[in-house]
Parts: sequence; C-alpha cells; structure tokens
Amino acid sequence: MSELEFEVDGRGLAKSFGALKAVDGVDLRIRRGECYGILGPNGAGKTTTIKMLCGAAVPDAGTLRVIGIDAVAEGRRAREQMGIVPQESTLDSELTVYENLWVYAGYFGFSRRESRPRIEELLQFFQLREKWDSQIKTLSGGMKRRLLIARALIHRPRLLILDEPTTGLDPQARHLVWNRLRELRRQGLSILLTTHYMEEAAQLCDRIGVMDGGKFLVEGPPLALVRERVGEEVFEFRGVEAEPVLRVLDGLPFEPERMGDTLYLYCKSGAAVMDRLLDSGRRNFLRRPATLEDLFLRLTGRELRE
Amino acid sequence: MSEFLQHAPSHRAVRVWIRHLVMYRTWFLAEWAGTLTEHALYLLAFGYGLGRFVPDMGGMPYAQFIGPGLVVSIAMWASSYEATYGAYSRMRIQHTYEGMLSAPLTVGDVVVGDLLWCASRSLIGAVLMLIVLAAFGLVGSFWAVAVLPVVFIEGFMFAGLGLIATAVAPSYAFFNFHYSLVVMPMFFFAGTFFPLEGLPDWMQTVSQAMPLTHAVVLSRGLIVHGHAPDAAWHFFMLSAFTLAFLAVACGLVGRRMLD
Ligand SMILES: Nc1ncnc2c1ncn2[C@@H]1O[C@H](COP(=O)(O)OP(=O)(O)O)[C@@H](O)[C@H]1O
Ligand SMILES: [Mg+2]
Repeated sequence: MSELEFEVDGRGLAKSFGALKAVDGVDLRIRRGECYGILGPNGAGKTTTIKMLCGAAVPDAGTLRVIGIDAVAEGRRAREQMGIVPQESTLDSELTVYENLWVYAGYFGFSRRESRPRIEELLQFFQLREKWDSQIKTLSGGMKRRLLIARALIHRPRLLILDEPTTGLDPQARHLVWNRLRELRRQGLSILLTTHYMEEAAQLCDRIGVMDGGKFLVEGPPLALVRERVGEEVFEFRGVEAEPVLRVLDGLPFEPERMGDTLYLYCKSGAAVMDRLLDSGRRNFLRRPATLEDLFLRLTGRELRE
Repeated sequence: MSEFLQHAPSHRAVRVWIRHLVMYRTWFLAEWAGTLTEHALYLLAFGYGLGRFVPDMGGMPYAQFIGPGLVVSIAMWASSYEATYGAYSRMRIQHTYEGMLSAPLTVGDVVVGDLLWCASRSLIGAVLMLIVLAAFGLVGSFWAVAVLPVVFIEGFMFAGLGLIATAVAPSYAFFNFHYSLVVMPMFFFAGTFFPLEGLPDWMQTVSQAMPLTHAVVLSRGLIVHGHAPDAAWHFFMLSAFTLAFLAVACGLVGRRMLD
C-alpha cells in the first residue's frame, strides 16, 4: 500500500523520560475512515503516543506521517489537518461557549464571521446550542467534553484524535459522546482514540491495539482478537479449589487461569465443558461470552495498576 | 536550529493577542483602578510631598523629574505582572498554552502573542499615567506621545524577562525572586527617583546595565522636552534586550511545554 492510504503512519516510534521508556518502538497505521483505539492500563504510553502525533512531544526515534505530512518536522501543517481533544480540558473557563469556539477558530485563521455558521452547526450537533452564552465553568463535565470535541472539529479536520474521551463521565454523558463519535465516523472522519474502557473500544473501534509498557501487545479488530486470543466463552469459579474442577474436565480443550480467588476457563465452545460440569454436579459457576476485558486482562495481567 | 524553526512565530500570534483581549474585558476596570491609583500616589507623595523639601532635580521641579520615570515604571510593573502571575496561570494552571499548541500555533506564536499582550497592557498603563501627568501640567511637549512606542517595546521586553522567570518557576512563590532581585532594583535605581550622575562608579555601571534605565532616559527627554539625548543608543539597547529576552523565552517555554 502507498503511504497516503494511511491517515497516520508511524514507524518505530520511541520516547523515553530519563531511564523510563514510555513508548518503546511502536508502529501505528490508521486507514482513512477507520476508528482506531489504543487500549492500555495507566502508564502504558497512550498519551505519550498521542502527544507525538500532535507535536507536543518529540520522538527520540522513528518516523511519523499524518495525512502524508511529516508530523515531527512540520507540526504546524500537520495540525491543520487534525482535530485534537486532550485528556484534560484546555477550554478557557472564564469565556463563554461561543467565545471559546470563535477564539479557537482564529488559531486556524478563520475570522469570527467565517466561523459562525460552523459553530452553529457544531453546537447543534453536540446538543449545546442553548449553552451559546454560558460560561464554561457553569457546564457539566459531559458538556465540557462535548464542547472540547466540537472545538477540535471547528476546521473540519480529516482526522480526530481523542485522549480518553469519556474518562470521568457518567454513563448517560458517555453514551451521548459515543453516539456522536459513531455519527462522525459514519460521515467518514478517521478517528484515533485512547481508552481504558473496554466497552468504549468494543462499541466504537474498527481496530484496536492493546498497549502496555510502551509496546503494542496485539492489534486487530476487537471481536476477532477476543476469539483468537481468548476464545468464545469463559467459565468463572469463585472461591473453589482448582484441582478438582480441572480433573473433572480432563481432556477437554480449554485454558485455565487462576487470579486471586477466581478460576477462569477460556474455551472455543463451552458446550462440552458445560455438560461435563453439570454431570459432575457443579452449579456454582458463571458461564458467559468472552469479552474484550478478558483479552485485556489476559494480556496485561490482572494485578492492580495505579 | 531546527528547534528554532519549529518554534518560529508567525502572524497567527495576533490571534493569541486577541484571545487575551477577549479575556481581559472581564476584569479591566478593577485592575487599572488599582495600579493607576498606586502610581498617582507615588507622584503625589514623592513629587509633591517630598518634592517640597527637594531642590530642583536635573534642572526641573521634582514632580516633573519623577513623572516620566513613573510612566515607564508603571509599564514595567504592568507587563511584569502579566508575564509572571498571568502567564504562569495560562501555562501551568488553565492549560491555555496547551490548548493553543493543539491548534496550528507554534511556541513562537504563543510567546509572541503573550508578549504583545503584556506590551499592550504596558501601553494602557502608560497612556493613563500620561493623562495624569498632563492634568498636573507636567507634560512639556506634544512629542510626549512619542514615548508610547518606547513604552510598547519596553513592555514587550519586560514581558520577555518575566516569561523567562515563568518558564523556570516551580511555583508562584518563585516570583518573589523576580520582583525583589530584578524589578524592584530597577524601579529604584534606573533613574526614576534621582539622577544617576554622581552615583559611585559601580552603581552607575549597574544602572546602565538595567534595561529600565534606557526607557527612563527616553521617557524623561520626550515628555519634558520633546526629544531625548542619545536616543538612538538607548533605543538600540532596548531593542537588543528585547530580542535577547524573546529568544531565551521562546527556548525555555518550548522546553517547558513540549516533551
Ligand atoms: N513528561 C513526563 N516526564 C516523565 N515521565 C513521563 C512524562 N510523561 C509521561 N511519563 C511517564 O511515561 C509513562 C507513560 O505515560 P502516558 O503516556 O501518560 O501513559 P498513559 O496515557 O497510557 O496512561 C508513565 O510511566 C508516565 O509516568
Ligand atoms: Mg493518558
């Protein structure tokens, strides 16, 4: 494939802070119209990766092209094509919604008059029209996040980059953001987001890369990855001895994993396991479909990260 | 070199200035009422209070002597405050710079826009102070208005110096150093309150190295006589300090803002 078929084409990207390798040799390719999710625990290197794309961090190694532009050497030109939604709000809290948007549009060279129709359209789209004259400090967390996304779209970018777009939002606010992002993707926008919410990745992303310790562990469409790496179904046993369970299931194809007081069995198809368990008189287990969360925890471990 | 080009400012810096202006209208009045009162008090207390016991200084009444110095010191204070406390908040607390850098602005745009804004505030202060002086009959020439471009450059210069402090400041408390070691000595020893001629040699040398000194000479000359001695030299010195502070400020802010 030619380079231009990738909206983002990063190769061998690396960034260290002192001795800490925050990003350690990452390849990142995003196709036009695709929604790509970087999934990883805290400290995985997601934000650092995003910052390199946005020109806020200079890579120690690697090459990075965004829409065909060398994003390291020509950051300003690359940012003309990107909409950037940072992890923390960078809105002007003393200004009104409208002022925030026209001032920001000015950074792209638009006059206040030129940007007005676009602002109307974006506030409508993000259900913020009646907040036109409200000060930022009077908005809820969900409204601020929507406004931050609206602001990033002011110049009709081809690529939208969001760092943890729904962290800290309540479920209603989160679903509204997801709904808008899906609509944007449907309109053809390419999207790169980071998240540690599995449901977010499953709901929005065509492809995900699971990141930990500055590296991608796996990459692919979420469902296919789960099937391939975890299986179709999971059995959970809480507070039981592993040995007797495993002995009952001897010879069947599954993978056991013990975490704390819970035993997990991952398998392609649960029917045989289910029969065997019921035959042996066991009832105290949970049978459920494998999820992205299983994949994530299998890959990154189940110990606590802070 | 490539780092410098990455940071290079452009006309988009004006957009940064506009942002600060939109922000400013919310607290304009309260703030200037304070600063202006303070400097009018200096004029009354020193110029007329102390002035009654002080013979003519530099060949003019004491109030007339210090008035022009107060014009450029109000400008120094205004832009210093904006470039320290104001810019610190924008850089570290409100994430304003970060927001700007997520748009197609460079560190140079953000810095120059900020310094232009600080210089504008110097200008507002100087204009108000000039009106006060005129009201007291202390403006000797129409050419006093020529002090305004000088004030603008001076404000830009002190903003650069303030922004350097801001870029290295670990917290607001750090600015105590900036004010007690940099701004206050200039306020007192740059020739605003007494002539530098006749001071011990070493003090004269130190005073000549102070950026404010050059602004004071230009201001006094222009406001009292309509022209200043060695204007080209003082103007050159102000410009040289300005460019040096600007370059250092861009480098340090770049280091602070970009990983
Ligand atoms: N400016 C910085 N200085 C030092 N260490 C940093 C800096 N930014 C990030 N790190 C470290 O790099 C690692 C990756 O951070 P980050 O990219 O923010 O992870 P994530 O966004 O996935 O939580 C973390 O260990 C973090 O502490
Ligand atoms: Mg992060």
